[in-house]
Amino acid sequence: MDIFKILKDSYHVMHKDMLEFSRNRMSLGALILMPLLFLVMFGFIYPSGNMQQNMPMGVVNLDHGQESSEFIAQLGAINSNTHLMKFTNFSSVDDAMANMKTGKSYGAFIIPPDFSNNLTQGKSASFIAYIDNSNPQSSMQIQQVLSRTVSGMNEMKAESNVLEVSKASNQTVNPQAMVLPYVLNVQTTIPGKTNYFNFLAPGLMIMIVMMSVMTGIPEAISKEKELGTFDGMLSAPINQISVILGKTAALCTRGFIQCIMILGIAMLLFGVTFQGSILLAFFMLLLGIFSFIGLGILAISMSGDQASGTMIMNLLMFPMMFLGGIFYPIQQMPWFMQDISKVIPLTYAADAMRKIMLLNAGIGDVITQILILVVFGIVTMAIAVPLFRRSMTR
Amino acid sequence: MMTDYAIEVQNLTKKFGDFTAVDNLSLNVENNEIFGFLGPNGAGKSTTIRMLCTLAQPTSGSAKVAGYDLIKDSDKVRESIGLVAEKMIMYDRLTAAENLHFFGKLYAIPKQKLEEKIDELLELVNMQEWKHTQISKYSTGMKQRINVIRALLPEPKIIFMDEPTLGLDPQTTFSIREIIRDINQDGVTVILTTHAMTEAEALSDHVAIIDHGKIAALDTPQNLKNMISNNDTTIFTTKIMNLTSKLVEKIKMLDLVTAVSQQDDYNLKISAQGSDALNRIIDTVRYEGGNIASIINSNESTLEDVFLTVTGKEMRDQANKKSSPIQHRHGEAPTSRVR
Repeated sequence: MDIFKILKDSYHVMHKDMLEFSRNRMSLGALILMPLLFLVMFGFIYPSGNMQQNMPMGVVNLDHGQESSEFIAQLGAINSNTHLMKFTNFSSVDDAMANMKTGKSYGAFIIPPDFSNNLTQGKSASFIAYIDNSNPQSSMQIQQVLSRTVSGMNEMKAESNVLEVSKASNQTVNPQAMVLPYVLNVQTTIPGKTNYFNFLAPGLMIMIVMMSVMTGIPEAISKEKELGTFDGMLSAPINQISVILGKTAALCTRGFIQCIMILGIAMLLFGVTFQGSILLAFFMLLLGIFSFIGLGILAISMSGDQASGTMIMNLLMFPMMFLGGIFYPIQQMPWFMQDISKVIPLTYAADAMRKIMLLNAGIGDVITQILILVVFGIVTMAIAVPLFRRSMTR
Repeated sequence: MMTDYAIEVQNLTKKFGDFTAVDNLSLNVENNEIFGFLGPNGAGKSTTIRMLCTLAQPTSGSAKVAGYDLIKDSDKVRESIGLVAEKMIMYDRLTAAENLHFFGKLYAIPKQKLEEKIDELLELVNMQEWKHTQISKYSTGMKQRINVIRALLPEPKIIFMDEPTLGLDPQTTFSIREIIRDINQDGVTVILTTHAMTEAEALSDHVAIIDHGKIAALDTPQNLKNMISNNDTTIFTTKIMNLTSKLVEKIKMLDLVTAVSQQDDYNLKISAQGSDALNRIIDTVRYEGGNIASIINSNESTLEDVFLTVTGKEMRDQANKKSSPIQHRHGEAPTSRVR
């Protein structure tokens, strides 16, 4: 049986599978909806780097001096540019706390009675911010906003103090350079404004291809086995490998369509920019598919029927989805989770894809990842194909 | 490559764990004959056919199909055979033409020839006007006709048919049998498994009755029927108005009775040996208080009678459809059949 015949038969199987698939309206709908749903869903529920606006905060001023009123006025002035917070005045701490407990505000500023006094006596004046940290997400945001606002106010205060001191001592100084001698200028690898979609889209493309291959192969083969049509193919003079190849090719085509959709949606709706070589990106997708075929075949060889095949696949797929660095950067995970991530091939595929798409990495930059995926694919297939052949003639 | 036999099977064995589905089976199928496989469900017919179609690996033994070794030349074997399996081999979402094209291409039939062959076969089963209709819109009979011509597509030397008429209406059954005769006339060897005794009797040149993975009897239908007549076995059909299971049990206990099968609430079919069998049975029934409405000695034995005598029981799947329990005398049915 020569390679040409194997490829020709694979093409026939692929063509048949695609034809069957195109007649199934439900699966066609799912094909289009899945990437759309994933991208929109994950894009919006995960922190996108955008701050929440108008976070409700209580303000309790127990001080009656001029400095505290000035402080509150400045707080309001800074906030009027960003609208990150929304202030409500309370007459007592208890009132502010009660309001916070009902969830109506995220926190409260409490300005103690000796605030103005301390300032006029040349001491630092402390004030308290209570934060409701029952919601870690918003408590983190409010803390960031608070420290940024307070340091901004400190700078302003310090600059005016420096100006006063310089006038008093008859020295001309640049108050800004005195207060902030070091100025940080951030430049990013990806030009323009980036968001979570930049991180998400490459990983999502790899993941969708992986999912369609890993669930698709066991499903497609066990379905035909249960229907009995598999016997029709195997009793014909074709190599069993043609069946796998053809089915994989059909699944890849579907996966590619989904990837192009993801890319399109990410670029049009979410402003993702594609920096790298599109050819290399598709090569990476193919490599991702190659590395997961073995697992798919393994699942169908070990399980007799569709239900258990799908179960085995889900067992493998869910940890991969969440530990493969698709949704969270793996660097943010604790070390033991990072170690698990390192044995998951998806991690490397997603990482390489991201580098190619966002950083315009060449083959040389992602050669480690490519090698790992090739080895993983070869090893799993070397185990899976003989098992598959044996399970076919059980 | 011409050989005397279309199929030569030597000591073929297939085990599924502890269960032996096919046990040291040896048989020869002549060129251009219709060979019938009879046997209860789970007797090993389908497993044998699956092995001969290279779909299952034999545990031991060997076989030659169309002169080619089953294991060494499995590609050549597959080129020479057609398969009509119990489950229909076709895709519901594709049309008849698309299904036939797909399988035709797997056999590397040249395009032009494939087109002609498809039209020719559709004509054979009178389904030209359905050529471009999706299979899902077909009736079971129409599907089976496509299923049969699918196997004929590569012009096989040998065609395996596993229950080709199961669950079909009389018209379709008739037309499928006609096709089987036609292709056999054209020189194709047909291996047929069936539950329909009349079908096996009417079509087959040779019949093998297979049970527990072994051949219980193998001969022409006529010789098989003669065998039980010579064997001094008589088949009685008796109608007993107050038939009870206790009574059936009593009849079964008689040493001259070889098999008893309950047909319905009143009718029993009894195979018995010896010249005074009739009297002994009547005496026993009367002694037990049975009210015999009629008892007929069926002189003309059928293949079903042979089957009963050889396997000692009514075919299991047929018996399962009836509410009445089946009776058997020889050996217990295996309690579990694991595949």
